[in-house]
Amino acid sequence: MLQYTLRRLLGMIPLLLLISLVVFFLAKMMPGDPFAGEIDPSNTNPQYIEEMREKLGYNDPIIVQYGRWISDFIQGDFGKSTVYKKPVSEVIAQRIPNTIFLAVTSLFFTYIFAFIMGMYAGRKPYTLGDNLIASYNYLALAIPSFVAGIVAIYFFSFKLGWFPFNGSVAVGLDEGTWAYYQSRFHHVLLPALVLGLMGTASYTQFLRNDIIDNSRKDFVRTARAKGTKESTIYNKHILRNSIIPIVTFLGFDIATLISGAVITETIFTYPGIGALFLSSVGSRDYAVMMSITMLLSFLTLFGNLVADLLYGVVDPRIRLD
Amino acid sequence: MKKSSLWAFMLMLVMALFLAACNGDSTTTEKEGEKEKDTPASTTESKEGGIVTFGTDQAPEGVFEPAYAGSIVDSYIQEFIRDEIYQVNDDLEYVPELATWEISDDKLTYTFNLEKGVKWHNGEELTVDDWVFALETLADPAYDGERYNYVENVKGAKAKKEGKADSIEGIEVVDPYTVKITFEAVKINNLENLWSHPMPKKHYEGIAIKDLGESKQVRETPVGLGAFKVKKVVDGEYSELERFDDYWKGKPTLDGVIVKVIDPSLAAGAFQNGEIDIMSIRPQSVKELSALDNVRIEETKGVGYSYIGLRFGHRDKATLTNVADFDKFKSKELRQALLYAINRPAMIDAFLEGKAEVANTVIPSTFWIAAEESELNQYEFNQDKAKELLKSAGYVDKDGDGFVEDPKGKPFKISFGHYAGPAAFEGRSQAIIQAWNDIGVKTELATGTLIEFNLYNEMKNNDDAVLEAFFGSWSTGADPDPSGLWANNAEWNFGRWVDAENQKLLDEGLSEAAFDTDYRKNVYVEWQKHINEELPAIPLWENLDLYGINNRLQGVHINAVGFQTDVYKWSVVE
Repeated sequence: MLQYTLRRLLGMIPLLLLISLVVFFLAKMMPGDPFAGEIDPSNTNPQYIEEMREKLGYNDPIIVQYGRWISDFIQGDFGKSTVYKKPVSEVIAQRIPNTIFLAVTSLFFTYIFAFIMGMYAGRKPYTLGDNLIASYNYLALAIPSFVAGIVAIYFFSFKLGWFPFNGSVAVGLDEGTWAYYQSRFHHVLLPALVLGLMGTASYTQFLRNDIIDNSRKDFVRTARAKGTKESTIYNKHILRNSIIPIVTFLGFDIATLISGAVITETIFTYPGIGALFLSSVGSRDYAVMMSITMLLSFLTLFGNLVADLLYGVVDPRIRLD
Repeated sequence: MKKSSLWAFMLMLVMALFLAACNGDSTTTEKEGEKEKDTPASTTESKEGGIVTFGTDQAPEGVFEPAYAGSIVDSYIQEFIRDEIYQVNDDLEYVPELATWEISDDKLTYTFNLEKGVKWHNGEELTVDDWVFALETLADPAYDGERYNYVENVKGAKAKKEGKADSIEGIEVVDPYTVKITFEAVKINNLENLWSHPMPKKHYEGIAIKDLGESKQVRETPVGLGAFKVKKVVDGEYSELERFDDYWKGKPTLDGVIVKVIDPSLAAGAFQNGEIDIMSIRPQSVKELSALDNVRIEETKGVGYSYIGLRFGHRDKATLTNVADFDKFKSKELRQALLYAINRPAMIDAFLEGKAEVANTVIPSTFWIAAEESELNQYEFNQDKAKELLKSAGYVDKDGDGFVEDPKGKPFKISFGHYAGPAAFEGRSQAIIQAWNDIGVKTELATGTLIEFNLYNEMKNNDDAVLEAFFGSWSTGADPDPSGLWANNAEWNFGRWVDAENQKLLDEGLSEAAFDTDYRKNVYVEWQKHINEELPAIPLWENLDLYGINNRLQGVHINAVGFQTDVYKWSVVE
């Protein structure tokens, strides 16, 4: 398996290079640059803009720019944000904990609800309950999470006042205090619930179908013939088998964890990677934008690898070598 | 990336729906009137203390030194934590703040006398050294911010920038409170173009100028002189400012101010909940907000205006000059007809909730140099007049298709461009196109759709052929001199209009004779009349600046340059 992992990791290199090429050229093809856009006629000096473009190398041939960027990138220098005027790695590092916190919480909700709904629907397929669950799931799949976000803010924050509607923490709390962590959790709850509850569809339906599949298999019939309790059959024998494919979803979730909340984060003014990404696109902050895209590409590839490895771990029939 | 832009688009659609949904209320104007009457200003005593939240729709970038900052949100925060050498009053005149000044007889040397006893947030006293340090920094070759043009006019600044001198020749420190600054040439707006923000020299001690912009002192632990000081910054979320007790104008009434980032779609809800107390708002939000009992809307004439640019040529990037070589709009009658064709009051009501005023020139009326409306042709909506003008200039319909041909008999068509944005942009671009088609001037939307904003700017910069006429807006700042936008060779004279009379008047406005205020005003009035007659661009309206303010917040004074005059007087009533 080690050999397999290494081979896969090596295989990622040309793929990432190819992605970097596409990312870079797409970014540069976008009209404008960090200095275009809103000009303040009394404050903006045309010569300064020209000087800065020259200094940042925007006037060089694009292939030269690419070469410079990718060689810096490989050496771990992700460039400097033109907006925040700080190294990109710092800007991203500042935002990542927020995003991961949100992602883990929302994933937790997704798993819990998908598990309960999937179990129920799989055990009682084609009943009213199953249909209701399916309808809910497809509806949730169809509604974009940012629409759900605005609606949720309207009801739960403005009308009922249960949750704060923006930010990641209440104003004025000091880090490290109990109130601080409590406030962080309170702030993450609503966006996490929105993201989590809207994302249950694939998990639920996967689990349901697998349970139905398994319940028709020979070992279940044997168990029934032996007189095993129905609940034991479902909760022990079938579930163990059905949970295998679900586990592998975890791999795919690694990238979704960070990328999944781009718009939702913006609506909740939740300062994470997603909000940063969106604003960097708007302000043509190339270094930040390309670094985040590369990060997400890498995580997607890495997640795929993890998923494949997990297959091997949970299902002995699959051999990786 | 494609996915996310699609999402952004969908989000915009959704927000547009929201805005549209909120426009159902038609009784707002009355309500607004009622509410203004019972604002508690006169009835309740304001008390000391309290915290006010200012909402912004963009995240700050966290640069607390004006010499390096570029974002509008950062400048809001700076206004709370800093004071300047001069300030701009309600009439957009430059008046003393931290210093007073005298001008020498040859008008080249300004002697500044600094206020005594002004304290920085770190307890140091402000001296002219702090200001000189700022000026020297801006002229330093290693300085990598974009404000060099604010010291450019000082004698010897150029030599320092080019590395030929160690300090600026034109600065002479007399004593800790007095400094003489000599300029390169006599110019009326030397003062307006002089950097007015002292830097805390002690605080920045030991940092190389090339590292200053990224230093911790600028980005994380700023030191200012204003009524409030920075207490805590949570990146991308909020900035917490607290009262500075030793503020030189007097102890501020409030305990603190919070600058909070908020998605614009949630502004109304946040106002209702009392989560934000003051925020600059768009005309589209007026109806929604005026339905709330706890919020008042204050408006003031701003320094922004909208216009339709007309193309006269292109910019030669090698020589940095504008070249008039495009003849489509050469006929003055045609240009005037295009303005007569547009019903501006109706557009203001339809797309700006009435929160704008018709403009007939490109100087916002709040400026002291603005011409009286009676001196300007009003160009009231008149389709017959427009058609007459077209006819007299030889633009008549010869082939009977309902649209005019040009005087040579060739088909005539205008390609009009507009940038993408809120839903109202679609409507107003169509209204303009319709207005011109109605008088028989065939007009089409350039590229067939509203153009993404960055792309639009790039197209304007590069004189893209499809932008024959284009919608534009400017916010001018407090210096009345319009040369930056309308001078013959100005970079941002996007129509590339070159006209001898125009340049002559603009130069006169900056000449030595213009030190006489009346003379200067007369010159600019002449210039406005010239613009009003020639119409190198079609003036549409000047926007009103709108602020939503929670009724508990008192003492806010808004004017054309902002809402942060004397923030130390702000107070809250419960």
